[in-house]
Amino acid sequence: MKRVLVAVLAVAVLGSLALAATKIKAGFIYVGPIGDYGWTHAHDVARRIVDEKYDWLETVYVESVPEGEVETYIDLLVRQGCNVIFTTSFGFMDGTLAAAQRYPDVIFAHCSGFKRWDNMATYMADFYQVYYLNGLMAGALTKTGKIGYVAAFPIPELKRHISAFTIGVREVNPKAEVHVRWIYEWYNPAAAKEATEALIAEGCDVFAFTEDSPTVVQVAAEKRLPSFGHYSPMYDFAPDYVVSGQIVHWDKIYEDFLLKIYKGVYTTKNLAHVDYWWLLAQGAVEVGAKPGMLINPKYEAALKNYVINHPTFGKISVYDLVYIRLNQMADPGITFDPFQGPVYDRKGNLRVPEGMWMSYDALITMEWAAAGIVGPWPGEP
Amino acid sequence: MKRLGPFVLEPRLAPSRAAVLGVSLGAVILALLLASVVFYGYGRNPWQAYVQIGRGVFGSWPSFSEVLRRAIPLILCGVGLTLAFKAQFWNIGAEGQLLAGAVAATGVALFLPVPEVWRLPLMFLSGFLAGGIWAVLPALLRVKFAVNDVISTLMLNYIMIYIVEWLVHGPWKGPTMRGFAYTDAFPMSARLSYLPQTRVHWLTLALGIGAALVAAVLLARTRFGYEVRVVGQSTEAARYAGINFTAVFALVMLLSGGLAGLAGVGEVAGIHWRLRSPAHISMGYGYTAIIVAWLARGSPLAAIFTALLFGLIFAAGDYMKTALNLPFQITGVFNGLILFCLISFDILMFWRVRLSKREKAWIGQAGSSAR
Amino acid sequence: MDWTSWVISTVSRALAFGVPLLWGTLGEIYAERAGVVNLGVEGMMILGAFMAFAVTQSVGSPGLGLFCAAMVGGVAALVHAFLTVTLRANQYVAGLALSMFGLGLAGLLGRGWEGKPLSSTLPYLTVPGLSRIPVLGPMLFQDQTVLTYIGLVLAVLLWILLFRTRWGVAIRSVGENPATADALGINVTLVRYLCVVFGGLLAGVGGGYLSVAYRPAWTEGMTAGMGWIVIALTIFAAWDPLQAIWGAFFFGALYHLSYRLQAFLAPELLKLMPYFFAVVVLAASGFGRARWRRRAPAALGVPYVRGER
Repeated sequence: MKRVLVAVLAVAVLGSLALAATKIKAGFIYVGPIGDYGWTHAHDVARRIVDEKYDWLETVYVESVPEGEVETYIDLLVRQGCNVIFTTSFGFMDGTLAAAQRYPDVIFAHCSGFKRWDNMATYMADFYQVYYLNGLMAGALTKTGKIGYVAAFPIPELKRHISAFTIGVREVNPKAEVHVRWIYEWYNPAAAKEATEALIAEGCDVFAFTEDSPTVVQVAAEKRLPSFGHYSPMYDFAPDYVVSGQIVHWDKIYEDFLLKIYKGVYTTKNLAHVDYWWLLAQGAVEVGAKPGMLINPKYEAALKNYVINHPTFGKISVYDLVYIRLNQMADPGITFDPFQGPVYDRKGNLRVPEGMWMSYDALITMEWAAAGIVGPWPGEP
Repeated sequence: MKRLGPFVLEPRLAPSRAAVLGVSLGAVILALLLASVVFYGYGRNPWQAYVQIGRGVFGSWPSFSEVLRRAIPLILCGVGLTLAFKAQFWNIGAEGQLLAGAVAATGVALFLPVPEVWRLPLMFLSGFLAGGIWAVLPALLRVKFAVNDVISTLMLNYIMIYIVEWLVHGPWKGPTMRGFAYTDAFPMSARLSYLPQTRVHWLTLALGIGAALVAAVLLARTRFGYEVRVVGQSTEAARYAGINFTAVFALVMLLSGGLAGLAGVGEVAGIHWRLRSPAHISMGYGYTAIIVAWLARGSPLAAIFTALLFGLIFAAGDYMKTALNLPFQITGVFNGLILFCLISFDILMFWRVRLSKREKAWIGQAGSSAR
Repeated sequence: MDWTSWVISTVSRALAFGVPLLWGTLGEIYAERAGVVNLGVEGMMILGAFMAFAVTQSVGSPGLGLFCAAMVGGVAALVHAFLTVTLRANQYVAGLALSMFGLGLAGLLGRGWEGKPLSSTLPYLTVPGLSRIPVLGPMLFQDQTVLTYIGLVLAVLLWILLFRTRWGVAIRSVGENPATADALGINVTLVRYLCVVFGGLLAGVGGGYLSVAYRPAWTEGMTAGMGWIVIALTIFAAWDPLQAIWGAFFFGALYHLSYRLQAFLAPELLKLMPYFFAVVVLAASGFGRARWRRRAPAALGVPYVRGER
């Protein structure tokens, strides 16, 4: 009897071991708190989505990891048995690379960086196309011709977003300006509030932003001014005033990446050229006030009534233009890009020649400001 | 003398070493007990949690080395603060002084054309001076303009934070960093080496321990140390003794800030190899060092051990975040609790507790005249 | 540039941003007038901010939220009073501990509450009649909450209490010379407890204003160093409730202008302006003739022990 029991136990143990070998334990290292309602929140929402979807997947996370400490946390997660590790801040790049070289049997993926290794891929979901579409709407909605933009840090990602937004604005409203204020923090509601108030005092009447809180939406709504949400769906914060916005779906990237590891497509040997740069076409980003609501119904009429004489499409309402542009960028055979030449910067230099698109490298290192942007621009070439 | 049930409390003038140690240990233990409530709140058995954390932190040399690594900036800042506190100068600005040191070291590492062997020594020297100067400023403000030292040192932290921010976004932004706000990486000659299997930059650690020894001798055996103690005990007495306040405060703050500056050099040359956003260079080491120094009761040598204690708390916090999946704010609650317990136990050190038969005691209000 | 619009928006924003500073400073003035420094303002404000948000969100009444914010600030201050008055702990260290603890605890408790819009906020008022006055109307009587006006009235009342009543004499004498006050039959311990706890109540309301009115949402660390500015303002205001008004609104204006002026000056340099001015203003006020007027209460920071002269 005893022997039988031992045998049964042994089988059970072996069985679970065999199962464990095909299991993936993924660790996520975040730079901010998961409650920030911005970047980190969005990554964590995605983590939970994929975690619930696949029973071969187990996930753990660490939040608010200082950039210099990433190696310490990778050590801790590896010791806990993680075999896939995602690091989600540009500042984690060198630490992740060093860890990838130290742990050749673990798969790493680093978000928003440019260094890769045999077992380290990179990934990014970028919003510039979405900002352009929001810009089209903003250009149609402004009455003062001044649009406010509250921005966290003057880095290429934000410069790319603001420029794409401004190109959209100018396409439907060539005289409009985009006024920019920097708050030098991803996450400081008081700073975001005063920056918005400063822009309101300057006469701005439509708002967009890149920082990790819904402050701009709330402050604009207090003054009955429309705005565009950022990163997470912000419709609920001001249902009457959030026109549209940018929504991210990191789960699309995580799911694809983890599935390919599970199926053996990605291994610890072949990631040196794996770089996800996912946009509208891959579904990693979405335009909308909340998922499924591209334009807040309250603003549909205003956008339908704003008719322009477009150089390509002739007489067209901005409402229709948004859908045309969205389809051009979302269909697999992408036929349009916001930075489609000719594009001039605000100093009058030709940045993208006629008929050209910007390369990936040019996009992610972009420093110049598109024509129509008003305000300080640290590091402007 | 005070009567509490069968106990009689008698005041004493100067606490004994044993009393200080006993009371401090008692405070830390009480804080740990109070913190158990938080573990309960998260549905975990506190005892098991502490055991698990102990295993996680002390389990292997690489994991234990994290305690040492986290203690390095705390030792340097803490020793510096014991000096300042000894003179009753409320230096809350170690955070900014640390950053000042990091800035100076980065300048030397990236932009100063010097022979490679000189690079690290010059980084430490410039870091010391930068931190020191950033600390002398409030000393002069206090002596010459009667500006409150708590406020000036604190405000200078914020000012230094924005200076670092400006440097990494503006003039020092690294051409290889694709527009992100970081300086370029330091050359190899500007990086500190590690103890095997760890990230312990041993040179800074050695500097910290050396600084503690020097500071202890300075305080106990020199005229300067005497002057610092007199100024700290009573400004009246110091005036009678003809002590030059300006000189004493300036020098003590030069040392205090200088040591914090060295900590900053250690962080950028040992861990980051570049200047980056200030919140990521120092994990509030300058603020934690205030508790380190307070717990050390003015003894630079004791600061080594209290710094190790907080290194342990940091390392344990890292472990809790990953293994127990507890929120990171728990470390802040911990630090606050320890400090609370510590200061509320303070008064005990000045009392002797004695069991006695109930007698008609003289119930007076004795106090601690030692302060 | 249209100068009236500049003046209007700057003054209006200075009032809105100055409110938490004013409330906090008035409270700290009372604590310090009684001889107790409380560096825990940052901690009390953040606890107040969290409490106000949590209660308002659950019950739907911002008034009750602010009341609870005041209570939690008062309880936190009570801890400080117990440590510093009864246990005679070092006031600076006790205050720092309170700030650390408050920030940590509020962050811990607030985890489930982040990123949620507040259902009912403290309304912004448009004072009927007065708001129609040109320039002054939009400057002072629009886009303010009731706390702006209560704060102003409170400052005046607290000034009268401190300088024109016997209670005020008692408070000031406890801060100046507790031994004499004691000899005159004033209960030093009681006065200090009351003043410190009162300071906590006001700091709690100041914090609550941030989360139910200024920016109606809870986010960790949302006080962002305001508590420390309050400490500086207390000295800047020379422990005088009326001067606290100018001080708080001056810093409110600075904070607003640091974003408004970005079009003309480097943003990073503007961001350090309020902190830089805090030091400069203190240095200037410690200089020359003003010095005697701006003397701190003589027994500030000194625990009182009876029988020790």
